[in-house]
Amino acid sequence: MPDFSPTQYAVPLFVLAVLAEMVWSRLKNPEAYEPMDTLVSLGFGLGSTVAGALFGGFAAYVFIEAYDYRIFDFGPEWWAVWWAWPLCFVLDDLKYYWVHRAGHRIRWMWASHVNHHSSQHYNLSTALRQSWTGAFTFGLLFALPLVLLGFHPAMIAICAGFNLIYQFWIHTEAIRRMPRWFEAVMNTPSHHRVHHATNPRYLDRNYAGVFIVWDKLFGTFEPERDDEKIRYGIVRQLGSFNLLYAVFHEWIGMFGDIWRAPWRHKLSYLLREPGWTHDGSRDTSDTIRARWLARTGAVDQAPLTKPEPVASRNPIESPGQAA
Amino acid sequence: MDIPPLLLQTGGSLIAILALFGLARALRLGGKPRLADENSVREAAGEVEDGFEATRTAISRDGTTALATNAEGKIMVIKLHGNRFAGRILTREARVREEIDALVVDAGDRRFGPVRLSIEKPGYWADAINRL
Repeated sequence: MPDFSPTQYAVPLFVLAVLAEMVWSRLKNPEAYEPMDTLVSLGFGLGSTVAGALFGGFAAYVFIEAYDYRIFDFGPEWWAVWWAWPLCFVLDDLKYYWVHRAGHRIRWMWASHVNHHSSQHYNLSTALRQSWTGAFTFGLLFALPLVLLGFHPAMIAICAGFNLIYQFWIHTEAIRRMPRWFEAVMNTPSHHRVHHATNPRYLDRNYAGVFIVWDKLFGTFEPERDDEKIRYGIVRQLGSFNLLYAVFHEWIGMFGDIWRAPWRHKLSYLLREPGWTHDGSRDTSDTIRARWLARTGAVDQAPLTKPEPVASRNPIESPGQAA
Repeated sequence: MDIPPLLLQTGGSLIAILALFGLARALRLGGKPRLADENSVREAAGEVEDGFEATRTAISRDGTTALATNAEGKIMVIKLHGNRFAGRILTREARVREEIDALVVDAGDRRFGPVRLSIEKPGYWADAINRL
């Protein structure tokens, strides 16, 4: 069995690329970086590798146990089945789309994933702003179908590693657009800038990892506009460079809400979308977008491509009732 | 002496992180934006809460903090955070304290921290916040 972790080998390249982008920033766009923000982002990156080493074992155990119940068997030398690799990569990217979408639409998952969005900047260091608490969500369940199909957990881990490496370079403002054919199929800096934006038009859009086609297929694609300045970060910006607060703030907020909520609403604070409250006192991305549409008369692009709203066609949890 | 790989990797990463942080400072990345006039406060307020249209503003003398109110009577406090602006809509939990040369506004969010504003007519704003 191959013992190979692509992300470990990529770390020196990450460092060199951040260094190169800093030089670009100095020459072209000094505001793209802010030293304390960069320090926090890199601290996130380091902490996430330590957290992965400490807590990743549980997911590995679950996958190896589940592998015994696989439907198809690629044989003892599964790594030599060449066509299984690209197939696994594509299916893992489809899995990524859905786990990422859940990461934005289910507060339990968002409590972990918000870490990646907590910077008001968008540069290569932001890509390294990875969560420390992914092991405490149910994200691993999204990979179980791949294991049960017969893909070895190591193969999935390697494909996921390359997926993560691909996503590094798209966290930049230094590249405006890639060639049209590339933009049509692949996730790019332009598409992912939209994903990191807090502009109402862009909220909860472009969940793709490597292939942007998933967003087009599932109705969550939004192209970047040249006439609208992007604001990065989260709807309620942290306003603090405290690393531990940045890591745990949403967990603290979520558990506080669950503690204070009436019994019949407690589960909803765990499973419904970020910003949901039983008394409607806060905003969700949907209410922010609806208010913006009403205020500006703008046309929401994503539903234009499909006849129905995204949420009604692909519900993660039932709207309008406690999950 | 055998050093565990995770410790070695963590140590190397820490050195690289501090080197990149030092480089970002040495290159003077970031800049120091300031709230120069009403328009810049309006823009910042609209970024804190989409659709917030400031009808009255107060900018601190150093341009790093501001207060804004809209037609609905909402009051927002804005502060420089790195080289971006962040803010909070003030609620009943907000506290305000008048000092000799400044107003200190606590939005009730401990991590956001108190915001110090050296502004014109601090009494007007203190009263408005106390009425929330």
